[in-house]
Amino acid sequence: MFEARHISVAYGKHRALEDVSVTVAAGEIVAMLGANGAGKSTFLKAVAGLVAKDAGGGVALDGREIGALPPHEIVERGIALVPEGRGLFDDLTVIENLTLGAYPRRARASESENLERVLDLFPVLAQRRRQVARTLSGGQQQMVAIGTAMMSAPFMLMLDEPSLGLSPMLCTELFRTLARVREARVGILLVEQNAKQSLAIADRGYLLENGRITGEDSAANLADDPSVQAAYLGAASPA
Amino acid sequence: MDILIIGVLLGGAYALMAVGLQLQYGVARIMNLANGEILVAGAFGAFWFFTGSQVSPLITVIGYAPVAFAANWAIYRYLMLPLVRRSKSEGHLEVDSILATFGLSFILVGVMLALFGGEFFSYSFLEKPFDIMGQPYEQNRLVAFLYAAAFCVGLYVWLHRTRMGLTLRAVSVSPEASRRVGIDVAGASALAFGLGGAITAAGGGLLSTFLVFDASIGIIFTMKALVIVIMGGLRDIRGSIVAAFVLGLTETAVASLIDPGLTLAAAYVVFILVLLFRPQGIFGRRAT
Repeated sequence: MFEARHISVAYGKHRALEDVSVTVAAGEIVAMLGANGAGKSTFLKAVAGLVAKDAGGGVALDGREIGALPPHEIVERGIALVPEGRGLFDDLTVIENLTLGAYPRRARASESENLERVLDLFPVLAQRRRQVARTLSGGQQQMVAIGTAMMSAPFMLMLDEPSLGLSPMLCTELFRTLARVREARVGILLVEQNAKQSLAIADRGYLLENGRITGEDSAANLADDPSVQAAYLGAASPA
Repeated sequence: MDILIIGVLLGGAYALMAVGLQLQYGVARIMNLANGEILVAGAFGAFWFFTGSQVSPLITVIGYAPVAFAANWAIYRYLMLPLVRRSKSEGHLEVDSILATFGLSFILVGVMLALFGGEFFSYSFLEKPFDIMGQPYEQNRLVAFLYAAAFCVGLYVWLHRTRMGLTLRAVSVSPEASRRVGIDVAGASALAFGLGGAITAAGGGLLSTFLVFDASIGIIFTMKALVIVIMGGLRDIRGSIVAAFVLGLTETAVASLIDPGLTLAAAYVVFILVLLFRPQGIFGRRAT
């Protein structure tokens, strides 16, 4: 069980996040919807320890507080982030990227199994293991990014706009892959502009506006909500 | 032919000192202007043990490596890390670290002047001739070259075949992505800085077997190492190694064909040409 409680972040005088609380259970997929600049990426970075949180909030994994730890310790406890724009090691090979994913001590024992699992999920990466990451196609780079995160044997996987820049076919494949990742009891927090497909695989969803949570419901209810449809699903009126 | 062989032999030792600087700049992102002083300290160490207790510099450079590592590690941990922590951007850090290490270089020069005085020093180690294609060369140059080559190959293999080496390369490629996969970037940077310092000190020890030193000569070696690293590209030690040979050959050619006083000037001409026509370095990749 992942719990982020009362997370607030300020960039200088600009309040980017205000009192955001999110929970994700093991094996659950949770979508976070929000417009550009609503604070979605900031939230993920705050959880990963990459931006400073205001005092008063906290992040806990299975009841243990990890909010104050430095980024590498947070990964060590089992939270992995796939950032927007993938954030690969551009000049390193596919296999080096994946090996680095298994950097946390906790992940090393199961490194070879995890590698097998990742290559099983993305067979094309097995063929390209010696290729330098920046020479891959966008879809393949996304696979490396997700694969690298999975190599850390996370309990909680956070993805920031993973479908950005992918063809519709690859998108569908990506979401199918996430559904398979969940079967390993990994909690998934999915920040997506592709609200339709993410709500289709998600169990629950949060709405984020101007740095605040403005709604929380089951994914099915959110998908049926006319205001959500108007804002995020591109529907003028309910079908 | 003479020029070629002496140039290559000189390039070997240059490669070692440049690779040291490159680890510090490429991984820890500290442009260490006190690098040359560490090199001179290494030369003093080799000199001291050789003249005082007849210890071969080849043993000394390995013997004092842990000391050099610890000293440089401490420089990063206590002097540089506070700058890294408060800097808002890479450019900001670069200015801060250049100023701080520039200051540090004066402190180190002062300490060495106080300890060893301002005289030039040299010693004769393996000053016996050996023949390459009928021409005699000094053995110490060949031994220093072979030693440096072994160090460079060893370092390259370590960087490319071990998890720790991969970790340092990862930090060099992207500190941000490194943090995300759980690498302690500050720890890895301190390790790279210490290792780079130990390698530079070893390079100084090897150079001292055939060059003349004094306490304040470090800045010249800092500049040479800087030229090599920028010429070779920041991310790959192979680039530095090739660039070191380019510099060694250029200096030797200019010194023997034109005038020994022009060696440093020649190095800078090559440097400026590279900056003008290949700013990313001979083997560097253009930033995207």
